[in-house]
Amino acid sequence: MTVPGFLLAAEHTSFAAAMRGEFGWEWLFPIVETLHVIALAMVFGSVVMVDLRLAGATSRNSAVSRLSSEVLPYTWGAFSCAIVTGALLFVSKAHVYFYNLQFQLKFLCMFLAGVNMAVFHFGAYRHVLEWDERHQPPRAARLAGALSIALWIGVIFFGRWIGFTT
Amino acid sequence: MLRITHHWANWIASTALSGWLQNEAWVVPTSQSIHIVSVSVVVGSAVIIDLRLLGLSASGRSVSQLVDTLVPWMYRALAALLLTGLVQTIAEPVRQFVAPVFWWKMLMIIGVLALTVGFARAVRRNEAAWDTPARPAGAKWFALISMGLWVGIIFCGRFIGYTWELYL
Repeated sequence: MTVPGFLLAAEHTSFAAAMRGEFGWEWLFPIVETLHVIALAMVFGSVVMVDLRLAGATSRNSAVSRLSSEVLPYTWGAFSCAIVTGALLFVSKAHVYFYNLQFQLKFLCMFLAGVNMAVFHFGAYRHVLEWDERHQPPRAARLAGALSIALWIGVIFFGRWIGFTT
Repeated sequence: MLRITHHWANWIASTALSGWLQNEAWVVPTSQSIHIVSVSVVVGSAVIIDLRLLGLSASGRSVSQLVDTLVPWMYRALAALLLTGLVQTIAEPVRQFVAPVFWWKMLMIIGVLALTVGFARAVRRNEAAWDTPARPAGAKWFALISMGLWVGIIFCGRFIGYTWELYL
């Protein structure tokens, strides 16, 4: 299936029709969008705690591995909710979003945040026990934390701008 | 009530500052983006404390450690929320003041602020009591009400944009 074909098929599902306010559900889109905001607030609010610790800015008395295992399950749970609500928002006007510059930049930021996470996870984090308790983690970890904060702020900014440009 | 607030809104909209903010197309979206980043910091911190109080989070830091680390960040983010909220209100006063959900939001903010400040003080006064599994009575109620209010605040905040034109 081609990309335009996929976008068209997505827009023709009954989910998409309901999200566009058909069947008299005109409040569905705002409600799903609000749930998306709540989910992304939990994603950013939780991941930034770990990122600030990695950057050496806060929570210095908590071991990095302990903080991660305490906080990151919330991040992943909330991220799953953001994917489900985000997919519903997307299908309502799939081709409009797909070709929207802000939407593309948002996904670029999210992709880079994922790459950054993978590089950190398979790099500096493998030796975390050597620097777990240190107030200032090694440079690679500080860089990963700072990059992650910047990229997630980018996701939120471009996400908000989608609403002003579609 | 709505007449008076509409009158105020028109006065704010007529000021030079409001006029400048309205003319700069980037101001409101940028301010809203900072507003969302800030609300994420506040709500993320609040929910993690609340789930800890409800006993739903896995082992981790104690309640007093969470309060010591997170509450200062919540206050910083709240300052950013107030500032960006003010920018948005001065730029688009009518949109804010005619929407009942805006006033519901303000009411819930006052409630959750009073509750959070009181909670943080109570924890600092008697850390040992909060760090035992048998926490003071009311801890669970605080957690549930706090989470409910934050969800309500986000709902009302997002619905200002979807409902205000219904009240013109």
